[in-house]
Amino acid sequence: MSSPSDALPPHAQPSGVIHDIGYRPYSGPRLGDGAVAWSLFVTGLRNCYGLGRSGRSKILPMILIGLMILPALILVGVLVQARQVLGLDSHIVAYSVYPLTTQLLISVFVAAQAPALISRDLRFGTITLYLARPASRTTYVLVRMASLTVATFLLIAAPLLVMYVGGLLADLPPGRETERFLQALVGALLLAACLAGLAALVSAMTTRRGLAVAAVIVVLLVSFTVVSSIQGVSLETGNDTTGEVAGLFSPYTLTQGVQVLLFDSPRATPTPPEGGTMTLIYLAATALTILGSLGAMLRRYRQVA
Amino acid sequence: MATIQLDHVSRWYKNVVAVNDVTMTIGPGVTGLLGPNGAGKSTLISLMSGFLAPSTGSVTLDGEPLWRNEEVYRRIGLVPEREALFEYLTGRQFVLANAELHGLPDAGAAAQTAIALIEMTDAQDRTISTYSKGMRQRIKMASSLVHDPSVLLLDEPFNGMDPRQRIHLMELLRRMGGEGRTVLFSSHILEEVEQVARQIEVVVAGRHAASGDFGAIRRLMTDRPNRFVLRTGDDRVLAAALLGDPSVRGARLRAEGGIEVEATDFGRFSEVLPRLARDHQVRLFEVTPTDESLESVFSYLVST
Amino acid sequence: MSTAVMGTVARLGVRSVFGRRRGVLLFVLPLVLVGLAILVRAMVGQDVDLASGTLYGLGLAVLVPLVALIATTGVLAPEIDDGSIAYLLAKPVSRHAIVVAKLLVAVGCVLAFAAVPMLVAGLVLVTDEPGVGVAYAVGSLAGGAAYCALFALLSVMTRHAVVIGLIYLLVWEGLLGGLLDGVRWLSVTRWSAVIIEQVNDTIEISADLSPAYAVVATALAVVLGTWFTGWRLRGFNLTGDE
Repeated sequence: MSSPSDALPPHAQPSGVIHDIGYRPYSGPRLGDGAVAWSLFVTGLRNCYGLGRSGRSKILPMILIGLMILPALILVGVLVQARQVLGLDSHIVAYSVYPLTTQLLISVFVAAQAPALISRDLRFGTITLYLARPASRTTYVLVRMASLTVATFLLIAAPLLVMYVGGLLADLPPGRETERFLQALVGALLLAACLAGLAALVSAMTTRRGLAVAAVIVVLLVSFTVVSSIQGVSLETGNDTTGEVAGLFSPYTLTQGVQVLLFDSPRATPTPPEGGTMTLIYLAATALTILGSLGAMLRRYRQVA
Repeated sequence: MATIQLDHVSRWYKNVVAVNDVTMTIGPGVTGLLGPNGAGKSTLISLMSGFLAPSTGSVTLDGEPLWRNEEVYRRIGLVPEREALFEYLTGRQFVLANAELHGLPDAGAAAQTAIALIEMTDAQDRTISTYSKGMRQRIKMASSLVHDPSVLLLDEPFNGMDPRQRIHLMELLRRMGGEGRTVLFSSHILEEVEQVARQIEVVVAGRHAASGDFGAIRRLMTDRPNRFVLRTGDDRVLAAALLGDPSVRGARLRAEGGIEVEATDFGRFSEVLPRLARDHQVRLFEVTPTDESLESVFSYLVST
Repeated sequence: MSTAVMGTVARLGVRSVFGRRRGVLLFVLPLVLVGLAILVRAMVGQDVDLASGTLYGLGLAVLVPLVALIATTGVLAPEIDDGSIAYLLAKPVSRHAIVVAKLLVAVGCVLAFAAVPMLVAGLVLVTDEPGVGVAYAVGSLAGGAAYCALFALLSVMTRHAVVIGLIYLLVWEGLLGGLLDGVRWLSVTRWSAVIIEQVNDTIEISADLSPAYAVVATALAVVLGTWFTGWRLRGFNLTGDE
């Protein structure tokens, strides 16, 4: 501004006043930390399925849910229609085996959604907005993992529900079916927790979403491929123990093994674990995977500004 | 002599026109590219640095087209707006790598000269990830100067600089311009452009709104009256006399002394004022144009 | 002068790949392969067919393309994404030279983290027949180079190069390659398999392609991929944040 400054009349003092333009601070009741955590949890869960995000992000989860349920529907349809003809006494594919068969879809889901929940906040710095709120760092990490776990659990459990209802409609013994279904739900929950933990940990290592997606898929796929080749070889050579130990290193075979040990579920891997020691080892490994990834995530987030 | 010539250049992407039929010549000296945010300044600089092709028209440096022409980079130094740098390198390594990529015979010496020029010699061995925003801008400048280019293009170079760094950069740009280089920098902050560049190119909404010395541009805007403040020996007498002349639209006596004059015909007014002052024996102490500033020029251009 | 310039670009590329966290994956994957080889050898002893299966299934089909993807995108994608590639492009350097220099870094990574581990794994699995390891190493290098060139082109064409490359690997080479036989004409892994068979007659992977076709196809992929990447870089659009 190059207009000459106006000289003030000598008797005026500089003063100021803040005008009331209607801004009011909020002094009403505030919900506590629990409500903050709950709303963060629900938002994360909805975001995993594209709700609350752009239209394009809804496509993949919806396609994956569809692809997960479709084979279940077909199997149930066959069961209902051709039960007498084929002499079927139970589901064609057992509850606990279904996630193992559809693992590629589950892996893709986790690989696509974990970075959306975790890497995005790190990349764009919005993490500081979360951490500046009443909820602590720990709460943020736990809630994010919980959202991802529940979202994955819903994906895995949806076809199981379809199978359960279909089984009841096909007049399979309800007591037995309910028991198996609930056991499979436990397995699904463990699987979801393991997958979510691993995927979240990998996603928290990098700010680039594309790389996080690729890394999660690589980890889940390669681990399963390696484990199944080892199990195949150990079955042929009679070294069953090696195969059983190898099963600890992929979440799919790990939770499959837990279900075999605890609930006597049908065996679906070449070298399913057996015996008391194996039970302890498998349970310990599951706990380690879930709690270990949680702990690593907390440590990682301690370093975030 | 390095001259950038844009000839009826337009650039559009889908149905957004970023640059609309712009013709301008950027010659030696410091030129400021001025415009509000989103006016197309970055697009113009990308066009002039060979990183965008014009949808129509031509962009040339001394007659050579800039698009898909790698050799032209011997003569151009570019300071991009985006902050991303090779974070894992030290300042020295970064400037040295740039020097090596230019194929300079003594890359190390050239790098050291450039670093000394922007006064980063003390910090050159720290990694760039530890640099502040102003330091990053300066190391970017060093990388663009290392090959002694005759053309320097800077996209919003004063972004994020503190006052001391800003003064230093302005001094540097003036010196570069004084050496005969063609320096073009873009900004939307008027004070920056005003202090460094007398020659400006104004871009508004993709169109080339004005170019040249901003005082001259102001005088071209004859539909807006020129404003002056006069400090005289007898305000009232002179004001009354001025109001009698058709080139004066208004005269106001200021409470703190002096006359504010609105003149519609600058040429006639500049002839009439001394004559009237002499005829009425009023001494003129000061005649100050009050709206020949860049800001008023700018606001006039942007508001149309 | 050109080699010195390429040297600078290559050095920057090496720092780019290993300066970021994705470099860790490059170390982990070959360790998994060699570890598996040791385990199988301990359990089964020396079995050429099993060795070939492992080296193909985990090595050629998984390790090589993944190493190529990680290395190539690591050398190109971050710079394109944040715009720092402007510093390489605003120089009087031929774009093709830049691409070749970066690809040399990527292929070097393939050599170090895929081909050599394949050789080691092959030697571990069948120590009596070193030819197996050598053949797989050669095939890995050839296939890896082709993958690098193709992923480089992908990196300069789209911002989502990593995901698209992964989808290509999973769907085209993995899923469809297992189901449909016609895929083999356009599958880099299959071409490498044929090359391996050529190098060492004792290996059989039933790739069902003429060796000449496989060699020419691989070479074409490398050359065309490199050339088109350079061509796209010549017309590279770089705009400001607005």
